[in-house]
Amino acid sequence: MTWTIVVGVKQVPDADEVGIDPDTGRLDRANAPAVMNPPDRNALEAALELRDTVGGSVLVITMGPPNATIVLEEAIAMGCDDAVLVSDRAFAGSDTWPTSLTLARAAETLEADVVLCGEETTDSSTGQVPPGIAAHNGWAQLTYAEELEPQPDEGRLVARRDVEGGYELVAAQLPVVVAVAYGEFDPRPAGLHRKIFAENDFEPREWTAADLDIEDEVGLDVSPTAVGTMETVEPVERRSELVDSVNALLEPLEETEVVG
Amino acid sequence: MTELDTSEYADVWVFVEVHDDVMPVSWELLAEAKTLTAKTGDDLVALVIGEDVDGIAEEALARGADRVLVADDPVFEPYRADPYGAQFRAMVEARKPSIVLIGGTHTGRDFAGRVAVPTHAGLTADVTEIDVDDEGILQARRPAFGGDILATIVCEDHRPQMATIRPGVFEAADPNYACETTLEGSIERVEVVVDEADCISEVLERVVDATADITEAERIVAVGAGIEGDLEPALELAEALDAELAATRAVVDEGWVDGARQVGQTGKTVRPDLYVAVGISGAIQHVEGMNKSETVIAINDDPNAPIFDHADYGIVGDLFDVCPQLTELVQERGILEVAR
Ligand SMILES: Cc1cc2nc3c(=O)[nH]c(=O)nc-3n(C[C@H](O)[C@H](O)[C@H](O)COP(=O)(O)OP(=O)(O)OC[C@H]3O[C@@H](n4cnc5c(N)ncnc54)[C@H](O)[C@@H]3O)c2cc1C
Ligand SMILES: Cc1cc2nc3c(=O)[nH]c(=O)nc-3n(C[C@H](O)[C@H](O)[C@H](O)COP(=O)(O)OP(=O)(O)OC[C@H]3O[C@@H](n4cnc5c(N)ncnc54)[C@H](O)[C@@H]3O)c2cc1C
Repeated sequence: MTWTIVVGVKQVPDADEVGIDPDTGRLDRANAPAVMNPPDRNALEAALELRDTVGGSVLVITMGPPNATIVLEEAIAMGCDDAVLVSDRAFAGSDTWPTSLTLARAAETLEADVVLCGEETTDSSTGQVPPGIAAHNGWAQLTYAEELEPQPDEGRLVARRDVEGGYELVAAQLPVVVAVAYGEFDPRPAGLHRKIFAENDFEPREWTAADLDIEDEVGLDVSPTAVGTMETVEPVERRSELVDSVNALLEPLEETEVVG
Repeated sequence: MTELDTSEYADVWVFVEVHDDVMPVSWELLAEAKTLTAKTGDDLVALVIGEDVDGIAEEALARGADRVLVADDPVFEPYRADPYGAQFRAMVEARKPSIVLIGGTHTGRDFAGRVAVPTHAGLTADVTEIDVDDEGILQARRPAFGGDILATIVCEDHRPQMATIRPGVFEAADPNYACETTLEGSIERVEVVVDEADCISEVLERVVDATADITEAERIVAVGAGIEGDLEPALELAEALDAELAATRAVVDEGWVDGARQVGQTGKTVRPDLYVAVGISGAIQHVEGMNKSETVIAINDDPNAPIFDHADYGIVGDLFDVCPQLTELVQERGILEVAR
């Protein structure tokens, strides 16, 4: 039995390139280049390692605007087999409830045995999408996974989960949704030929909300949460004083009543 | 979609997370939730799930819960997402709470979705400030974009209004709250609706040591990847300063320091009088967890490291020279006791 492994990847603004809008003095996220959410690279690597062990295929999905195709191409360059862009105006305003519903339906349609996701994103970082996918489908879940051991004969996947103060080994029945702990599973570099293929010849499949039969279950209307206001957090005022000798550090230690 | 009658929903629930001991965040939520029920007039209800948890239910009353709901069964020990989610969901559907607060630990963030998705509740992640408006709508504030933004998330038309709350942000509830105010609450055992035969996961092994709590520390020496696996200089400095050791995620991921000591967006929020950052670059996800510190000192050999912008005092130098020198100076001077 080989496995169908589905990976969810999301496009996010490049955290290193978010500039300040000169007119408003606010962070200008709209003009930051979009990149693949860094933790999703760990999920892709975990998927490819599972495929190496069990056999099968790795299919990548993203729910996002048409230009999110770029992150799918990156995943194909890393060695994934195929990719689906799930894109529709109807998705606008979706919180994690319809987002995870959409991905859950896509995973079901692809007949996934395992769905791999990143731990959380660098933009809204809820970490709620992977458990949400599992909950919508009634599937098992393994979050904060640091290591994976497939047991295809038993139809199970065992994960080492990072928990407060230690770890646990949890076995889950397939189908299962995994959120890979950020920083685990070092992503492999893209091969040159694969990269050329991904950039020049590859076209992802494209699905709309109607293709997944969820037109009335997505978007702003079904999203329980809404972002009310967004305030820019002013950085905490610090003295930022550079001292030129270790001795000089005693003064602040006196001030804070650490040394006498 | 059919409109939901939100007036049918009442009370503020706080989830008490138990793995042998109660996770500290649970008592933090209980105290903070009191500020909500003081405004809305709702009952504050603690929810305890586990095996043999009567003592913990009593403690929740002592710490100020008006009522406690207990789901006690071997199926809940050790924790697994599917039985917890199923039990919690059944209780929410039967009793209709207006607000549900869950600690934003790995456990809380693991199962919260298994309650929110089937009940179509609003779930706000990783919240650091809570309040209610005049209509009883929860105003849940949370950092986003690595902490550059504080977003207020609301859930107007769906119930319950659920949120996971970041550990270490609020003060813990007083263990003798009820004695001092002579409150008397009730404990109710609820029906357990999950059956082992229906579970789709199994815990094969669980290895957990007593976890350190750095959130209450008055002095912290925090290490970053610059230590390159050698904790010695930082540990000695920490000892000299009577400080707790903390770390960046990079250090925790390397396995050099236990995850309970991680500071930042996916770790703890700390607010010590003194925070010494040793070999830490100052990534936004780290700074978010330490910028409530009173005084920050940074030691880094790169004069352009962002941490210097987030420090009151900085010294550009090799930590392997600076730490031992500072340790010696502090030992010579003698430290003052931490005011606890
Ligand atoms: C400031 C702000 C705050 C928000 N707060 C909340 C909130 O508290 N609650 C809420 O319900 N919604 C919230 N939202 C809406 C939420 O950001 C969106 O639903 C978002 O599309 C998914 O959430 P996430 O980025 O947090 O994903 P996460 O759950 O952090 O993502 C984890 C993993 O799931 C996979 N994944 C996530 N999104 C996709 C995708 N589109 N395509 C493929 N794979 C994906 C990836 O593998 C990713 O690494 C907020 C939005 C903003 C702008
Ligand atoms: C979703 C997400 C969540 C995250 N959550 C967290 C979090 O909760 N907490 C967290 O900390 N990070 C978090 N991170 C990671 C964060 O982005 C940074 O990668 C991390 O904080 C860097 O750790 P560091 O400063 O130890 O390492 P580095 O960035 O590698 O910095 C090491 C520093 O040490 C200095 N140095 C090296 N050698 C010496 C020497 N001999 N003497 C003096 N200085 C020296 C270097 O100049 C450098 O500045 C998260 C990232 C993501 C994407």
